[in-house]
Amino acid sequence: MTRRLVVGVLAILAVLTLFPFLLVLLNAFKSPGDYTTGGPLALPDALYFQGIVDFWVRVDFGQKLVNSTVIAGSVAVLAVLVSVLTAYALGIGRVKGRLWIVAVFLLANLMPQEALVYPLYFLTKEVDLYDTRLAVIIIFTAIQAAFGTYLLSSVLSTFPREIVEAARIDGANRWQVLWRVVVPISWPTLSVLLVFFFIWTWNEFFLPMIMLVSNDNQTVPVALGVLQGQRLMDATAQSASALLGIIPAVVFFLIFQRTLTRGIAVGAVK
Amino acid sequence: MFTPGKALLAVLALAAPLLVACGDDAGGNANELRLWHYEGPDSAMGKAWDAAIEEFEDTHPGVTVKFEAKGFEQIQKSAQMVLNSDEAPDLMEYNKGNATAGLLSKQGLLTDMSAEVTERGWDKLLSPSLQTTCKYDERGVMGGDKWVGVPNYAEYTMAYYNKDLFAQHGVEIPETFDDLVAAMDKFVAAGVTPLSMGGKEYPAQQLLYQLALSKADTEWVDNLQQYKGDVDFHDEAWTYGAETFADWVRKGYLGKDSAGIDAESMGVAFMSGKFPIMMSGSWWYGRVQSTVKFDWDTALFPGSDLALGSSGNIWVVPEGSENKELAYDFIDITMKKANQELLGNSGGIPVAADPAAITDEKSKHLIEDYQTLVDRDGLAYYPDWPAPGYYDVLVSATQKLINGSASPDEVLDELAGPYEENLANVGG
Repeated sequence: MTRRLVVGVLAILAVLTLFPFLLVLLNAFKSPGDYTTGGPLALPDALYFQGIVDFWVRVDFGQKLVNSTVIAGSVAVLAVLVSVLTAYALGIGRVKGRLWIVAVFLLANLMPQEALVYPLYFLTKEVDLYDTRLAVIIIFTAIQAAFGTYLLSSVLSTFPREIVEAARIDGANRWQVLWRVVVPISWPTLSVLLVFFFIWTWNEFFLPMIMLVSNDNQTVPVALGVLQGQRLMDATAQSASALLGIIPAVVFFLIFQRTLTRGIAVGAVK
Repeated sequence: MFTPGKALLAVLALAAPLLVACGDDAGGNANELRLWHYEGPDSAMGKAWDAAIEEFEDTHPGVTVKFEAKGFEQIQKSAQMVLNSDEAPDLMEYNKGNATAGLLSKQGLLTDMSAEVTERGWDKLLSPSLQTTCKYDERGVMGGDKWVGVPNYAEYTMAYYNKDLFAQHGVEIPETFDDLVAAMDKFVAAGVTPLSMGGKEYPAQQLLYQLALSKADTEWVDNLQQYKGDVDFHDEAWTYGAETFADWVRKGYLGKDSAGIDAESMGVAFMSGKFPIMMSGSWWYGRVQSTVKFDWDTALFPGSDLALGSSGNIWVVPEGSENKELAYDFIDITMKKANQELLGNSGGIPVAADPAAITDEKSKHLIEDYQTLVDRDGLAYYPDWPAPGYYDVLVSATQKLINGSASPDEVLDELAGPYEENLANVGG
């Protein structure tokens, strides 16, 4: 009885969560005329693919996908790498005043991006990186690594000291302890961070919009903004573009979902 | 045993060449006109400007136009930063107004094109009320003496009528203001809410302003918009506007729930045939024309010489442009008869076209009404222009009128506060 109740509540919650996605899916395949007559909730009269095709061609979506993948992929890898190094020093190395260092790192994450815009703009212009993807990669590596450091250093501070000491007695230096002991054992945490960093960076809108001026450098979320006009918006075209924007992140998550579970399993055997 | 670390390194090794490739950069080039605008490809402007790009490349052999479609929001948020860097385009569409073009001009980021305007005769094509939004003074206030931009299209607000619904309820299309009120009474009696309205965004404040305008003159508009004289928010026009608006709400001409409806939903509701009347701008015209299945018509707001409207967005040439001469050539093409007529036939309002040359019936009607309005100097701009952040003040004020949570008098007080504060800052 209670079991059925729980399943029922979960089903309702699932529908609520999926509702916006369903709405996007529904309207992405409607023609504008169909949308006007039927409204957003009606089923489409006929499947209409032109909205998706038009959007793809108009913003050169293939190029945006490449940009987003390069940026989010590089940020995910680099930010995890930086987080591991800093968290090793803070969590296992027990550097003096680590609480304050972690607090400062966290501050970088808590700062609203609007406050960062002008300093970042002047800095990137100064080093000639304004309007380059590299600038966005560096900025987000720093922002994500700040969070990664905070999280990983608290994870690593509970790392069993015996294992580290055993490795040191076996003659491993600090570098070897990190790469041969700490990283393999905390791999499940690292891969979760990797996936999060990728998806978070993928969905970033504000800073990429400011930093990436040329259309050739823009990311997927910025490209979606092209459809939002001054006074008008085309709901069907926006749904079509939103669908194209969501799919890559979902696909990425589904692919890495499997490696995630494998990573956790490997950690458990050890 | 060491696979995770190795995998990480492998991914990094893969990413490295990509990272290096990110550093490439597009610079200025004498044979390239870098053009930005944010109009949709199917809009009248999008179509006309596409044709202008073709014509430009034909008349300038060896020069290519590198056009980039931008989002409105991106330009709004980042224009100042982009124009201050060497990534600035040679020519771009930008919002007219004190807080946008005026501000950038004050900061010296936009080229003063006054000499070019007189030499090429663009000033003769633009009526005085259109010129106001092109010219700014050293404070960045419009109506100055320095040409900062040039528009090639215009916009104004009007009444859209669903003729099928009018016929179905035996109501005549109104000719005068009294007709309009009588028609709305009939609809209410028949259980139909006559006005499609969106109180969450610009439509409600535009109706309020339109009602005030019907008791105002051009001097009143100049005082309000260009700080040329005293502005009293409790004068006859504003009081009439606010009270009539409240009265319309009371009589059920617009729905009580419209305070929470955005502009898009307002338009969609009208276009799906749920409401007989919509008061809004020419920016809906093309969309109504292409999607609506019922018989429809438009007319200027009855009983008012003035209507909301202005030039469209303007072409500006950034100070950092390396190809200013090419940019002026491009503007010139968009101002010429052929391009203006294409704009008109695509559902836009050209600034300098002959209505006789417009073949499409609906477009012709739109442009003729516009000419009538311009001939009586009836473009009164928009209520949110005079002060930064005024849009939100107006939204909240009109929402209170719709909800009935404040009296017209209190609402006018609410409008007066931020306006006078800004006036003190501008030093007008």
